Amino acid sequence: MTKLCGKRLNNHEELELVREDLLKHRNSGTKSVCVCVGPGCAAKGANRLYELFCEAVRQSDSKVKVEAKSVGCHGLCECGPIILIQPGDIFYQRVEEPDVAEIFRETVLSDRIVERLLHEDPSTGEKARSPDEIPFYKAQNRIALAYNGLIDPANIEDYIAAGGYTALPKALTTMTSEEIIAEVELAGLRGRGGGGFPTARKWRSCRESDGSPKYVICNGDEGDPGAFMDRAIMEGNPHSVIEGMVIGAYAIGSSQGYIYVRNEYPLSVERLKEAIEQARQWGFLGEDILGSSFSFNIRINRGGGAFVCGESTALMASLEGRTGEPRAKYVHTVESGFRGKPTNLNNVETWTNIPPIINRGGEWFAGIGTEKSKGTKVFSLVGNVVNTGLVEVPMGITLRRIIDEIGGGVRDGKRFKAVQTGGPSGGCIPSEHLDARVDFDELTKLGSMMGSGGMIVMDEGTCMVRVARYFTEFLQKESCGKCTPCREGLAQMLHILNRITRGEGDVGDIEELGVLAELLEGTALCALGKTAANPVLSTIRYFRDEYDAHILDRHCPAKECRGLFRYEIDAEACKACGICLKNCPEDAITGEKEVPHVINQEKCTLCGICWEKCPFTAVLKV
Amino acid sequence: MPTVTIDGCKVRVKKNATVLDAAKKAGIWIPTLCYHPAVSCDASCRICMVELERGDWRQLVTACNYPVREDIVVYVSSERAQQARRGVMELLLARAPESEELKALAERMGVKETHYPKVTESQRNCILCGLCVRVCEEIIGQSAIGFAGRGVDRTVAAPFRQPSDDCIGCGACAVVCPVGTIKLRIHKDQQEVEISPFKSRAKLLLCRQCGAPVVSVQVSEQVMGKVGLDCEEFRERVRLCPKCRKLQSAAQLASAPIRKKQ
Ligand SMILES: Cc1cc2nc3c(=O)[nH]c(=O)nc-3n(C[C@H](O)[C@H](O)[C@H](O)COP(=O)(O)O)c2cc1C
Ligand code: SF4
Repeated sequence: MTKLCGKRLNNHEELELVREDLLKHRNSGTKSVCVCVGPGCAAKGANRLYELFCEAVRQSDSKVKVEAKSVGCHGLCECGPIILIQPGDIFYQRVEEPDVAEIFRETVLSDRIVERLLHEDPSTGEKARSPDEIPFYKAQNRIALAYNGLIDPANIEDYIAAGGYTALPKALTTMTSEEIIAEVELAGLRGRGGGGFPTARKWRSCRESDGSPKYVICNGDEGDPGAFMDRAIMEGNPHSVIEGMVIGAYAIGSSQGYIYVRNEYPLSVERLKEAIEQARQWGFLGEDILGSSFSFNIRINRGGGAFVCGESTALMASLEGRTGEPRAKYVHTVESGFRGKPTNLNNVETWTNIPPIINRGGEWFAGIGTEKSKGTKVFSLVGNVVNTGLVEVPMGITLRRIIDEIGGGVRDGKRFKAVQTGGPSGGCIPSEHLDARVDFDELTKLGSMMGSGGMIVMDEGTCMVRVARYFTEFLQKESCGKCTPCREGLAQMLHILNRITRGEGDVGDIEELGVLAELLEGTALCALGKTAANPVLSTIRYFRDEYDAHILDRHCPAKECRGLFRYEIDAEACKACGICLKNCPEDAITGEKEVPHVINQEKCTLCGICWEKCPFTAVLKV
Repeated sequence: MPTVTIDGCKVRVKKNATVLDAAKKAGIWIPTLCYHPAVSCDASCRICMVELERGDWRQLVTACNYPVREDIVVYVSSERAQQARRGVMELLLARAPESEELKALAERMGVKETHYPKVTESQRNCILCGLCVRVCEEIIGQSAIGFAGRGVDRTVAAPFRQPSDDCIGCGACAVVCPVGTIKLRIHKDQQEVEISPFKSRAKLLLCRQCGAPVVSVQVSEQVMGKVGLDCEEFRERVRLCPKCRKLQSAAQLASAPIRKKQ
């Protein structure tokens, strides 16, 4: 290794020397076992697997050089814990502790595949050796997640060897601020945090604003329930966020940055802290970065713990040490934001897209996607879908392809009903619009939105009124309560939805929900309130008949709302085993040996125990 | 000096003026609740919504903090603006149905009643406009009260919902409260003033002459500090209620020896 490694680099040339060295060193036959310790895999014991591999490496007396790495999220969380072996890109899934020794002996040391741990296509039964052969990965296009699962997030050398920190010297030494902004503009990059605001336009406004100092902030508050796109990036490839921020700060003319990380993400904070420290040591942060005379520092702040803290003005208030509440201002934060100074706020994923844009050019990026939505978008695909996980797709891909090809379709052979996109204030899109493209404007037209990338698949058993109720309740609980329409209006909406799902709905309720929705949209102070009615509006738009069934017929078609359906025993399917009868806490079931059992509807309290217990699925919801 | 059109009326206003300022100048009334000229603008009650036209878009904005610009046309009484304000008022009436002050404002806006049920709890009809919080912080400098809780649980309270030591019993919060939530209670026996519903109490200075409560002791001390006067005479005067002070002045005048002009 050169003596430069780990030292502060003074210029571009030194960096390239180091990179060459790292590559040489790495290509000399070392095998890597990459253990995914992303949120999904970690929950299934991946950290222990990593320790076991480290132990195996330590104890190995083979001549083969091996390193074990803990890496960020691979995406296919459904099949975790996931292990990738390099070279060869060998992908093992659902790895358990007893498999470690076998993997080490067979694959790592002897290049033999452990068939049993390979991914198998459920429809064709075909086994895949590497991610490229797995349908889940085939339709994806990874830019933001390019290095996720490949590099050790705690080791800057990994990032450099993989081609990281090439955009930064390029920007600092060969481009002016305006050229950088022009490149981002050409790329057509729009903010990934929810609003989809053109990034270059924001940067330019901030650059041109009077006032100094200027600040750049990375929004890592990620408050959407079930979402973990930004977390995966912060924990899987923190240097890409930092590199993006330094480039942005240089273009904007800022010397101080902040990363605001959700309070529930301690590992993200740790990874980012390590990364910032390393970047400073190597000279990618701090004074006179790579000898360019540009200086920039980043501080990390932990979030205020509320969903609304992700909103730009609330975030800045929280950073200033005040309560994280939105501020009513018609002056944009690029003019007067953090501490009243020009401030540019971007989402984690937005920042991560900057280095590849600088490296490969705006034109390349703009070649991916639709006319007004360029590049890729990371989604966290969850709900009633076969392959849950993190996916990065080119804009313009249809929802159907994401759900069927990547997601493997609806779970348990059930029928698809709707897909919810855009986080809690997004909307539900029904099957007739599954061929809609993932595009900021198209999703908005459908009454939903891109949001920050939540995608929840719902099957036929989902009651859409309950879905609306769930999100309304979430937003009502997360409303800061500062402004009247959001605080009082959401409480009124929730009150109506509660009545409807309890079977106490009235004619006119739907219209009343519409009136409240319009009021919220027009008068709420921040975007939380303004968009809070989307779940209700979109479900009324596409599933009005379900609302009507609840209100007019006191019936829940999906049979989820307790009291709005009955349990009955199918006489033909009933084997008269007596299990339901024995378990019914109300003695509401009668029957004898060889006589089909019957539920006494008068006595039944709809607890559902018979339905759960019947081994012959003879108890039906009607 | 930008010129702005409000409901067809052209007015010239100062730089940095808001739509509300412009409307006042034009003699057009816009209801407000969380606005007070003495403190900063919060735009949280949303009762002052007006419709704004700028280029080819129309939007609802709050009049109290929207800065006037040359290129805007404001509609205070458009259908959409009125509907928005009335909608907000109906929500507030549902929250605070017993406030006479709120009902009076509603009536002035043409809202007879609310068709919403009461679904949120309010502490004695508090609508959470926050004027009390801002006046205590910005004008009095005490920050004795603040917001606590989030969403529908939001309330105005002293820290830990206990009587606050920072409260000097000045009563500024009660003065700005637009819905009659905050009241001053005089506890004669204990010689204390209580700021209700915050339960804070402050010792009262009683008039040396007639025994009527004057102000709280802390307020008198602060006033003394502010005017920078600490002579015996001033201290004497502060210890009298306004009525006795007048009487004393009159008596002093009457008994003073008449000096001839030199
Ligand atoms: C209630 C609310 C919550 C938000 N939460 C987040 C969040 O967690 N992360 C985020 O990046 N943006 C969030 N946003 C959007 C931000 O306000 C802001 O638009 C975004 O961070 C800007 O970055 P971008 O232009 O790169 O998208 C939220 C907005 C609202 C109204
Ligand atoms: S819209 Fe909701 S979250 Fe936003 S300021 Fe108003 S009350 Fe708070």
